[in-house]
Amino acid sequence: MKLIKKIFYFFVREFKISFKNLNDLFSNVLFFFLAIFVFVFAIGPDKQALNTFGIGIIWSLLLLSSTLSLRRFFQDDFNNDALIVIHMGGLSYELIVILKIISHFVFVKLPFLIAIPIASTLVHIDYNKIILLLISFIIGSLILSCLGSISAAMNLLNKRNFALGSLIVMIFSIPMIIFSVAVVNDEENFSSLINILIGLFLIFFAISPWVSAACIRLALSNK
Amino acid sequence: MFGFLVNPNKFNKFADIIMKPLCYSTFVILLVGLILIYLSPSDYQQGSTVRIMYIHVPAAWLAMLTYLIMTICSVVALAFRIPLGFIINIAVAPIGAMFTLICLVSGSLWGKPMWGTWWVWDARLTSVAVLFVIYIIIIFLKYSFENREVQEKTTAIFIIIGSINLPIIKFSVDWWNTLHQPASISKLSSPSIDTSMIIPLITMCLAFMFIGLLIALIRIKTEIILRKDNL
Repeated sequence: MKLIKKIFYFFVREFKISFKNLNDLFSNVLFFFLAIFVFVFAIGPDKQALNTFGIGIIWSLLLLSSTLSLRRFFQDDFNNDALIVIHMGGLSYELIVILKIISHFVFVKLPFLIAIPIASTLVHIDYNKIILLLISFIIGSLILSCLGSISAAMNLLNKRNFALGSLIVMIFSIPMIIFSVAVVNDEENFSSLINILIGLFLIFFAISPWVSAACIRLALSNK
Repeated sequence: MFGFLVNPNKFNKFADIIMKPLCYSTFVILLVGLILIYLSPSDYQQGSTVRIMYIHVPAAWLAMLTYLIMTICSVVALAFRIPLGFIINIAVAPIGAMFTLICLVSGSLWGKPMWGTWWVWDARLTSVAVLFVIYIIIIFLKYSFENREVQEKTTAIFIIIGSINLPIIKFSVDWWNTLHQPASISKLSSPSIDTSMIIPLITMCLAFMFIGLLIALIRIKTEIILRKDNL
């Protein structure tokens, strides 16, 4: 019972922080839309071309915009020592990482659920594909949150090379992006592809708490 | 007996002993390998371009072997707190990156006359390119932390996660229908390589191994000496 209370207060705190930083969230969404505009200006407003490339464009931009919010994972809590306080409150670092992944998914990734249908009408994607895109986005963004926690925990003490965190996310997200685009484009093999995608999510969800917690401990002991 | 693998001081002494014979044998094996390549027969379809294989295949093997060594080193170093493992990681990463680059470039030069393109997006080529990027990230990780312990352990953890890529590279030609041919070195596989070609190939592979080992020994020694000075 106590544990559930602690977890509840953790989420309340996360909600308050992200509610105060709403402009940060909106600038993420705005980056996504603006990047789509840039793509349309670059390719040209040809309806057929946008229809064929649209899903790939949307997925790669979701990936890029998820690398923008990496610092929100642990960096602020690490700098003002909130991580140690939460840990002393009785939550292990592994559990903190899992809760952070879930809260990151809820407070940073879920607003894209509203943005994606609007964006897909902008690039002329068929209506029956939008629901598949949303399903693949929910699983794929969970994978992105796991990868983001790994990369954010690795780069806690990194003060020289800021692009490295994005590189780590992008290099490990290659299988995710292959299968999540294939889920939308290949409707006959939907069930097998979605199973592979869920399997990828389970793999990353299994390794990311341990890896991130090890990196957080390392960073805290050398702060 | 294997104390030199744990203790940096003993490793340095061991490296001093082994250095000179290693230099000579590397030179001899490389020379023999180059002569054997010159004497080896041309392919009936590919002509003389088949000789790119004697650079391409050893470089690819060595790129993967280097990553495997790095993975084992990081696991051992993290689990048993052996500092030499971290030193080997740092020293060996640029060598692996170079081998991967040689593999990619020679494969590209081979692909242009044989396949008609410099590059195709098939599974084997893409996964090797990913391996190259992983090597580059490992090298970058070295320079982005001020604290050495954090740098070493983060690099080791990253290497362990990145080793997911190794089985993908190995089995990519079996799992997917790729333009790149499956492995034909083993005598058990049905289209297998001829004996007159496998002897220079094995010799070149040994030569590449010795070159890599030589550079690695020099780099590890330098790293150990630098660390002693910084203490």
